Amino acid sequence: MIYAAPVTEVTIFGLSSGAVFALLALGLVLIYRTTGVLNFAHWAIGLMGVVTYVMVTALGVPPQVGAALGLALGASAGVLAYRLVFKRVGRGRQVIVILIAIGLAQFYSSLAQFALGFEQFTRLRPWLPTGDVHIGQVAIRASEIITAVTAIGIAFGFLVWFRLSRTGRALRAVAQNKEAAMLSGIDDVKYSSIAWGIGSALAALALLLVLPHSAGEQGGLITTFDVTPFGTLLIPAFGAALVGGLVHLPMALVGGFIFGLARELLILAPKPWSDLRASIAAILILILLLMRTERFFATRQELEALE
Amino acid sequence: MSVDIAVETPTGSAPPTEELVAPPTTTRGIRRPTSAQIFGIASLAAISILPVPFGDFGYFIGQYAIIYAILGLSVVVVTGYAGLISLMPYSFAGIGAMATGVAMASWGWPFWLAIPFAAVATVPFALVVGVTSVRLKGLYLAIATLTISNALGETFFTWEAITGGDSGHFVDRPVVGPVDFGGDLAFYLLCLGAVFVLLFMVEGLRTSRIGRAMLAVRDNELEAQALGINVAKTKLVAFVLSGMIAGLGGAFLAQLLISVTPNAFQSPFAEASSLLLVTLVAIGGMDRAIGAFVGAIALVVQQQIFNGFEFFFAFVGIYAALTLIAFLLFRPGGLVQVGKILGHLTRTRPVLGISIILIILVVNVGGAWLILSLS
Repeated sequence: MIYAAPVTEVTIFGLSSGAVFALLALGLVLIYRTTGVLNFAHWAIGLMGVVTYVMVTALGVPPQVGAALGLALGASAGVLAYRLVFKRVGRGRQVIVILIAIGLAQFYSSLAQFALGFEQFTRLRPWLPTGDVHIGQVAIRASEIITAVTAIGIAFGFLVWFRLSRTGRALRAVAQNKEAAMLSGIDDVKYSSIAWGIGSALAALALLLVLPHSAGEQGGLITTFDVTPFGTLLIPAFGAALVGGLVHLPMALVGGFIFGLARELLILAPKPWSDLRASIAAILILILLLMRTERFFATRQELEALE
Repeated sequence: MSVDIAVETPTGSAPPTEELVAPPTTTRGIRRPTSAQIFGIASLAAISILPVPFGDFGYFIGQYAIIYAILGLSVVVVTGYAGLISLMPYSFAGIGAMATGVAMASWGWPFWLAIPFAAVATVPFALVVGVTSVRLKGLYLAIATLTISNALGETFFTWEAITGGDSGHFVDRPVVGPVDFGGDLAFYLLCLGAVFVLLFMVEGLRTSRIGRAMLAVRDNELEAQALGINVAKTKLVAFVLSGMIAGLGGAFLAQLLISVTPNAFQSPFAEASSLLLVTLVAIGGMDRAIGAFVGAIALVVQQQIFNGFEFFFAFVGIYAALTLIAFLLFRPGGLVQVGKILGHLTRTRPVLGISIILIILVVNVGGAWLILSLS
């Protein structure tokens, strides 16, 4: 199919998938900065939100209410993971922490398989409007635009809240220096739980924005590809978080859009280059890793405290 | 940073660490096996004859578990010994399987030549990952290996010249004189032989010069460097050895599945299988070769028995994940450590120890039997 102005359409696609990566990456960075856990279970925890959405909409609850319930359950899955497991692991035992996060990813994805009943795919009803919006001659799905706008709005709102509110300041204090924060009366466990809750809710929101709207009018699908421990979007989300060295929230937001746009804009590239589309995320991630982006955003001491 | 996955002395009833005591030697200087070694070999023999009463179904599950044990040994070398997190062991196995497929189906090589070819084929890839691991530590390496596994799925495992397209390669099992390895028992025995040789090699690696260098790098990189250990070389060797073991396992995997299709090694299923491998090794006990074997038996046997019933398949996933988390939190040495504690208990209070072991066996075996007979 040839569009009159593919550039506009592809850019909107890129922005909306970039927004999803950005939401995932913000959650990853928030959790990593406050508790030193790189959450390999991020996708699987977000999946819990989608599973809730599927189950309650099947009972006849309006989809919008279902999405809100999904967010709440995603958040509680994250808080539970922290309270029951990660709180008990001492810092400085990084291999153990990574292995436990992997175990949690398997736990939550197996739970999702259980709940979804082992179908090849499960249909999801949309909860955002599904019609088309016309910009000039180009028709674009409303859900794409809403996804991009919602994600950008929530991400910016979150950044402002993180900077200005009392809770946000306490979270930053825990992230910067846990011992000093505890000495000045900040409850470490409480604020770490809040970070896990918000981070996981962002993951659930990202999945709820992308999965139920992947097929336009018909809603969307969860396939066996999605019900795996790492899913399909976690790797670019890691990449987006790496743009901010895993510790810098605004740069993680930027990173999300870089990854989203890079993937979609490559469609427009001439033939040999457009084949790079499938592996562009991996290439960018390896470059970012070898650049050691964390150097630019955190001091040596802060990085040692995170390990 | 201290990467610490060594068996830590648990609080409370701590068993004496036996490794610190040199095994007793005879007058001629030949090491006499310790009671733990005798017990280990006896239980290996007992586990090996487990599938016999179940016939071909038992042999198939046995082959599966043993091949996963071989792949698990590659995780033991790189993560257990050298402390490097690799989330791509299954991709190395895939490279080995594809190399076997190309060698046997396209070039007409015999299986015996394809095995070493599969092991060698992983070396260039392992070198690239190894070089990355010199520069990246801890979770950055975890992200890197995850990414490389994903990228291989998008490039290498979609390359038709190597994968033979969607239908893959068909590889026939070898026939040597009167022995046809197409038979389930013969192939089971072949796998069993391979895993025993590798078990002893990987256990021997632990006390060799390079193995001790790996353990030193795992425990403290700076200290190891100060002791004159070449850290970069040690990490490279760890990845190359691990890749070769996984490639060899991949050759057997290709033989087991008879047709080697590429989509099992593409994202996200490759990552999921790699996770399963890391999980089973962590459950068994990361820093001993026998841990991979025990973990594979414990996990893969259950998974394959329940494979026909998706409900139980996911149930095993949950069970395995919870076991993994519980072990890592409370007994990071895995089943090997639990076995040591139980062995110690049996020696000091035989009745209590033996009854606990019996209860565990009855609950697990009885539960599996109950579920199978109900469904």
